[in-house]
Amino acid sequence: MQRIELLSPAGDIERLKVTLLYGADAVYIGGEKYGLRANATNFSLSQIKEGCDFAHRLGKKVYLTLNIVFHNEDMEGVYEYISAVVGAGIDAFIVSDPFIISYIKKNFPQVEVHLSTQDSTTNYKTVQYFQKQGVDRVVLAREVSLDEIEQIIEKTGIDIEVFIHGAMCTCYSGRCALSNYVTNRDANRGGCAQVCRFSFAVDGENDFTFATKDNNLARYIGKLIDIGVTSLKVEGRMRSLYYLATVIGTYREIIDRYYHNTLTEDILEVLEERLSRVANRAVSTHYLLKEANHDDQYYTGRNEASNQDYLGQVISYDINQKLIKIYERNYFEVGDTVELFTPQGERVSFVIEKLYDEDMNQIDVARHPDNIYYIYLDTPIVINAYSMIRLLHH
Amino acid sequence: MKVLVEVNSKDIANYVDSCDALLLGLEDFSVLNSVTFSLDEIEEIVNKYPKVEVFVKMDKNIFNNEIASLRQTLLKLEQIDICGVFFYDLAILELKQELSLSLNLVWSQTHMVTNYRTCNYYYNQGVQYALLSKEITLDEIVDISTNSSIQTIVEVVSLPSVGYSRRKLVHNYYEHFGKQGDSTLSILEKMTNKKYLVKEEKSGTGFFLNEILNGTSVISRLYQAKVDYVLFREEGILSFLELIRDTKKYIADGCIDSSYVEKYKKLGDSTGFFFKKTIYRVKKCKE
Repeated sequence: MQRIELLSPAGDIERLKVTLLYGADAVYIGGEKYGLRANATNFSLSQIKEGCDFAHRLGKKVYLTLNIVFHNEDMEGVYEYISAVVGAGIDAFIVSDPFIISYIKKNFPQVEVHLSTQDSTTNYKTVQYFQKQGVDRVVLAREVSLDEIEQIIEKTGIDIEVFIHGAMCTCYSGRCALSNYVTNRDANRGGCAQVCRFSFAVDGENDFTFATKDNNLARYIGKLIDIGVTSLKVEGRMRSLYYLATVIGTYREIIDRYYHNTLTEDILEVLEERLSRVANRAVSTHYLLKEANHDDQYYTGRNEASNQDYLGQVISYDINQKLIKIYERNYFEVGDTVELFTPQGERVSFVIEKLYDEDMNQIDVARHPDNIYYIYLDTPIVINAYSMIRLLHH
Repeated sequence: MKVLVEVNSKDIANYVDSCDALLLGLEDFSVLNSVTFSLDEIEEIVNKYPKVEVFVKMDKNIFNNEIASLRQTLLKLEQIDICGVFFYDLAILELKQELSLSLNLVWSQTHMVTNYRTCNYYYNQGVQYALLSKEITLDEIVDISTNSSIQTIVEVVSLPSVGYSRRKLVHNYYEHFGKQGDSTLSILEKMTNKKYLVKEEKSGTGFFLNEILNGTSVISRLYQAKVDYVLFREEGILSFLELIRDTKKYIADGCIDSSYVEKYKKLGDSTGFFFKKTIYRVKKCKE
């Protein structure tokens, strides 16, 4: 039985590496053109090649988003671009435009094409249409239920990808031009300004938003595996290293434990708590089990809390001196209880006893983000680069 | 170039002499129509008014449990002499191919009909018409009309539909604030000071810009570019019958009567995206 794929976003080459190290089986990235995240950092051609080489060395895959809704002018150069990224080693394209799908399948049949969620595919007949066009995988609309996903798999047998975590759109993907009208930014060409999160006034009374809560299907990963889903997708090409490391590492553990039959309710609760600490918005399962309703939305303001759990990224560990070299992201101090976690899934909780600045002066407080600090820790676990430290409590 | 109208009333007799074609929302399968029609009503209209073309609008997102009904509906429409079916969901194209239907289709994916190569792709798949996106420029429309084999339809007067959600957004709003109300909200976007209408129905909730798209001034250019149909949607438009009657005459006369354009400046000065290009920017990556 083929194991389910954990698919992570990656906004740049460093995040690509980190998320693969933390357990993603594949990443999806955007190039300099034709992707739906115009404001993400995105990848140059040489970075795409570097990312593919890195992933392939680990036996993992890289998918490229080519999922804008093309205007006439966007077609200029697209053939050359597709050829170049195929040459860079990309494993699949994520595409919404059927003309582009047909072009890729005709000219590069060895490369997979995944139908983007921008097409809001909600039924098996539409899947069958794209199946006949050569599409290898369909990323379903976020509006479908677990039963509908199962039925689509049963009736088509095609690879199905499901969003399991991250932000949701209020409207059907692709069927929203609010951003175009309010900000002149083209939602279907990567410029979505998330107008559904803006504040609107009703009859001079209430200010409110149409914003939705985030998606979180952690509790239903086993069900999605059982019904034959091929890939579990995490949203967020603009998310941070820490977010990706935590979310991907957590879903890696959920998936592995499910396969090993060690995912108990107690453990799942701990893992859900871990996901909640990195989130800055409330979560819901939206359409998975029922019709989305009143509880799945926000109504007032953006409701996004700043998260300061992430203390820093480990650069190295001196095993002789027992010193962790850390690149600081948020304030911490001696006496804080923290947790160090590694890409291999190791974790150690400890109280910071000794802290040094970059010049090895012993200090009590690390108060300057983006600076280097050293933390004393005597531990038998292997601490390597891209390990991270989070705050448990001050 | 023909005048296609989406009607807001079941009194079809009022429209048939004033336009070339009707767009009728099919009950249970169309979205954001104030008035919808049953299959029987559509058949009756087709039989009663043979000189007017009839298009049927089936533009909702389709779910698994609707496929059987969709199949039966398309088979029934195959027996009626309609001009075409406006579709959003590709399930309709799949069923046309699977059932070898001769039914003409109109690619009508609202904001996604934006280039001529994809229009030609659909034409080669057996789709005869495309309703072009309202969010592209007049120059882009002309390029599509010039370079594609598909028959083009351009929306020129309407309250523009700008988004559609499966959620019950109006109901949810009332529930959250403990209020009661009907299925429509008027909301103000404060940055731009523009109003939008939010309309909830069985299939979900739609957003409309509460400002008339007035493309009467571009009709002559569309005529020159050999666009096949101009679409007028009645919802929210006053003196609609007079407008379409005048437009039909304006087109019949070769779009040279400047008094037509002058007269319909009264619809407002919003020309949508005909002369406004949206932003498409991708950051340069850091090497």
